[in-house]
Amino acid sequence: MSWEKSGKEGSLLRWYDVMEAEKYEYTVGPAGEQFFNGLKQGKIVGSKCSKCGRIFVPARSYCEHCFVKIENYVEVNKDEAYVDSYTIIYNDDEGNKLAQPVFVALIRFLNVEGGLLCYAEGNVKVGAKAKITSFQWPLRVKVD
Amino acid sequence: MKVNIHLNKRVAVIGAGLTPFRRRLLETPQEIAWEAASKALDEAGLELKDIDCVVIGSAPDAFDGVNLKGEYLSHGSGGIRKPVSRVYVGGATGVMTAIAGWYHVASGLCQKVLAVAEEKMSPDRPHPQAIFRYIWDPILEKPLNPNLIWIFAMEMHRYMATYGIKKEEIALVSVKNKRNAVNNPYAQLGSNITVEDVLKSEVLVWPVQLLDVSPVSDGGAAIVLASEDVARRYTDTPVWVEGVGWTLDNTEWPARDLSYARYVEFAARMAYKMAGIERPNKEIDVAEPYDPFDYKELHHLEALQLAKRGEAPKLLKEGVFDIDGDIPSSPSGGLLGVGNPIAAAGLMKVISIYWQLKGTAGKMQVKRPVHTGVAQAWGDLMQAGTVIVLRN
Repeated sequence: MSWEKSGKEGSLLRWYDVMEAEKYEYTVGPAGEQFFNGLKQGKIVGSKCSKCGRIFVPARSYCEHCFVKIENYVEVNKDEAYVDSYTIIYNDDEGNKLAQPVFVALIRFLNVEGGLLCYAEGNVKVGAKAKITSFQWPLRVKVD
Repeated sequence: MKVNIHLNKRVAVIGAGLTPFRRRLLETPQEIAWEAASKALDEAGLELKDIDCVVIGSAPDAFDGVNLKGEYLSHGSGGIRKPVSRVYVGGATGVMTAIAGWYHVASGLCQKVLAVAEEKMSPDRPHPQAIFRYIWDPILEKPLNPNLIWIFAMEMHRYMATYGIKKEEIALVSVKNKRNAVNNPYAQLGSNITVEDVLKSEVLVWPVQLLDVSPVSDGGAAIVLASEDVARRYTDTPVWVEGVGWTLDNTEWPARDLSYARYVEFAARMAYKMAGIERPNKEIDVAEPYDPFDYKELHHLEALQLAKRGEAPKLLKEGVFDIDGDIPSSPSGGLLGVGNPIAAAGLMKVISIYWQLKGTAGKMQVKRPVHTGVAQAWGDLMQAGTVIVLRN
């Protein structure tokens, strides 16, 4: 609009504000609780649909295919983790160059639906086996 | 008012599901949506694979703190690998979700539609009211830092001033709705309170006091809509969607008449015309007007043409809107009693009418036989009205 051109930043012709709630407190949900409690013990917990047998990671409380409640939590074999895809991040989200590039990988498990985004290090390659080195969230994996 | 709407199919509601309405539900928004959706499918006797498309209703993304909530919820709402759309008209969303589900079927596009509404009001800090900070005109109104209670307070005051209504008369709505909610297993705030309790409660923004307001709440609601031929196959007691209406009034709230909800009147006239209703106060057996605040139920009963302007308080006092009155209003307990997870609360109103007409409302069931009911919601920048008329 034309009046903008004659206005000065911060003058009465414009208002500045930030649009957001101060903060949020999210709940992880009952299935999320199983998953995160599992991480504390170094386990990857998924949930298994009693109808179609699919296993979901992270654990969730319903099957999106059969639309039934899932109450069967299973430990997924973490030795079967592999890199589905990865990326290398050179700039942070404000556009500043990072001192060290950061590897982020999507890891999956054999015969399991879903996956987990993790920080990765080592010789990161698509399809390579990933070993979880830290169960603090977000997870860290090492790829040989 | 002329509305150019052409119907292809008659539409029935054949199933509904609700989650309990509670503050700080542990479940994630997706899990809340799933619970409501799967219950609705169960009641309809359908499986997810039978559903042609999914409609999702949610008010601002900002409540749950997740952006693009339609996409986020589609997973739990059964929308994966199906056509999904999301509707959003603020507080009017809940009834709009049912209307959007209706037009998917009425147009002939789909036969079986799952309509799901979810809202989680409790994650935001310091309070969900903070979310409303940016719905105002950023230059003319925002510098005063208004919140919704301010606006309602001004509306309530104008309503009282125009018709000479006292706070005692308005407080009766809160008393009635919270009392009705005692019989509702999903309700958060059913209780037997008195007018005195309301008048003694904390003043928030004069003349609005704590017990004039619905509680902050989380919850989900879902219905299954089907075309006539399909509905007849799945149920002997279909409840028909006979009329729908939705309108938008002037989006500048300072330019509107605060004493009368014209946006609801227009939507109601559209719905009544479609349903062939000429004398709503004689033909409507049960009503669920939108009641986030107690005066709002009276406001909306008038705009729904169930009372003359300014006369709803009088009829309320006479017991017309009680559960055993001529036109029971909010037999579920409404938002004041059940809770107010915005979009879910609006769809809960539709479900309440559906269960009343089906005769499965349990302890909430109104005493007289009922055949025609109306549910209504209202919102956006306080200028969107949505109305649905159901008949058994």
